[in-house]
Amino acid sequence: MTRKRSITPYTFLLPALVLLGIFVVYPIIAVIYYSFTDYDIATPPVWIGLDNYRHLLEDDTFWLALTHSFVYLIVTPILIFLSIVLAIVVNRRLRGIHIFRALYFVPAVAGSIAIGLAWRWLFERSGFINSMLISWGVIDTPVQWLATPAFVLPIAMMLTVWAGVGYYSVIFLAGLQNIPEELYDAARIDGCNDFQKHRYVSLPGLRPQIVFVAVISSLAALKVFDEIYVLTNRTGGILDSGVTMVFYLWQQAFQRDNAGYASAIAIALLAVTLVFSVFNVRLLEGGRGEEA
Amino acid sequence: MSHASMAEIIEPVAVIQRTRRRPRRRAIASSGLWYLVLAFLAVITVFPFFWMLMTSLKGPGDPIYSTPPQFIPTDPTLAAYTRVLDLLPIPRFFLNSVFVAVAVGALNVLVAAMAAYPLAKMRFPGRDAIFYALLATLIVPAQLTYIPSFILAVNVFHYYDTLAALIFPNLVSAFNIFLMRQAFRGIPNDLLDAARVDGAGEWRIWWSILLPLVRPSLAAVAIFTFVTSWNDFLWPSLMLHQPDGLTLPVGLAALQSMFVSDARGIAAGVTITVIPILVFFIVVQRYFVRGLAGAVKG
Repeated sequence: MTRKRSITPYTFLLPALVLLGIFVVYPIIAVIYYSFTDYDIATPPVWIGLDNYRHLLEDDTFWLALTHSFVYLIVTPILIFLSIVLAIVVNRRLRGIHIFRALYFVPAVAGSIAIGLAWRWLFERSGFINSMLISWGVIDTPVQWLATPAFVLPIAMMLTVWAGVGYYSVIFLAGLQNIPEELYDAARIDGCNDFQKHRYVSLPGLRPQIVFVAVISSLAALKVFDEIYVLTNRTGGILDSGVTMVFYLWQQAFQRDNAGYASAIAIALLAVTLVFSVFNVRLLEGGRGEEA
Repeated sequence: MSHASMAEIIEPVAVIQRTRRRPRRRAIASSGLWYLVLAFLAVITVFPFFWMLMTSLKGPGDPIYSTPPQFIPTDPTLAAYTRVLDLLPIPRFFLNSVFVAVAVGALNVLVAAMAAYPLAKMRFPGRDAIFYALLATLIVPAQLTYIPSFILAVNVFHYYDTLAALIFPNLVSAFNIFLMRQAFRGIPNDLLDAARVDGAGEWRIWWSILLPLVRPSLAAVAIFTFVTSWNDFLWPSLMLHQPDGLTLPVGLAALQSMFVSDARGIAAGVTITVIPILVFFIVVQRYFVRGLAGAVKG
């Protein structure tokens, strides 16, 4: 450790701090200001006090978007559970296991627009799901999956889970491989079966990874946009059935020229994210967090 | 590098020791079962891509929709690909995406590695405050900044509708700084002190001692940032509009609206854009996985 007073540490930090100042700190301050204005980006903002927030409280679409974003959080426990299961499945020495591990990772690198289009095509009226279900006799006529309000959000969530499991399981796999083999041996001697072995050794051992994935995947769930954009063909779905907070923010700011109102939505999103992050950390580091 | 080669040496030995311990026949039966499970999971993962590929190759004689579905085209053709490539400059989108992702990936490594050095290895007033302020920015959703960033792009930096608009706002990530700080903290201080005794300056130490030692972390940060940038959609879709200037995801979204009634065309477009990133992933898979795994060690 160097103790001498010098400007060297600050020169190393300078580029990062300047960039963060311009592209993160300034925008936060600006968005707080815009949220108190009537603003359409083209003409200068006009101060209107709390009007945007008052409007927000009465806006059914906003509450719907907020609800959808909370509902979307269900993907987090599902992702954690399935990713741990997948990590346990691929944590064995088999010939070619690396190929399988790589395959499961493919959706994570293919890009949300590409995989969204691929899924959209499966759930299209003339898509694979309908033709399969009809030939099995499950349904008689094709279902308009993505034009049925009740299905839009669940399909988007399935897509998020499908794309995320391979990615997060890599994290859990690394965690599993760090658990000392002796712990499993001890469990076996104590008469644990395979399930109990994972319940009492793997799960506690994966705690740091569970915390990490819970935080990362829930923050991502609160910010979901791309899936909705592609699956609903940028409409947000019939009756706003797929509209999430970020989607609504985008719609208001860039489709309807209500940047002031969208800024208030952004502040609401920030508030939700903050509360949620505090809750997350408390729950998972408080020692009583029982995950999965 | 030493980590990688050690693991490669140790792993096959461990495999031999493990498989010898078990009775052979049982091992074969149970591994057969595991292969079934793995193959089933692989089908779930790959099927949407496979279906896209098959749809894109279907000829005029092959039904897009039928019951039961037709998996393999009987009349395969590349017509959908030529149709898409005639209408959209996909090679150009590809180059745009490469340019942005390489610039963002490389510059992120530089900025993060610089910022991480004093945070990990120096003591100076304000260090902890700066570090916690950095961590706090992780909570801020990027989408929240898009309205002011949009106005900055149009009015202040004048890079609206150029690739620079995708590069400058993404040059720094608190997450990357955090990862690099973790990597630097793993390096013994004695090494740095020895260099200081020999008269090396802090920049020299950073460049000649620290950076070479954390090369795997540098690679992981670069690759992660590259892929994130490559797949980024919302911000690029706000910035890019001229037909030649799009990146692949924005181009794909444009394709979706241009080819609404042409399922083969959309499928061909998706297939063309997915293949390059898959090849890239296969090449760098090792760093990718190690970086992701290392990120959580704490």
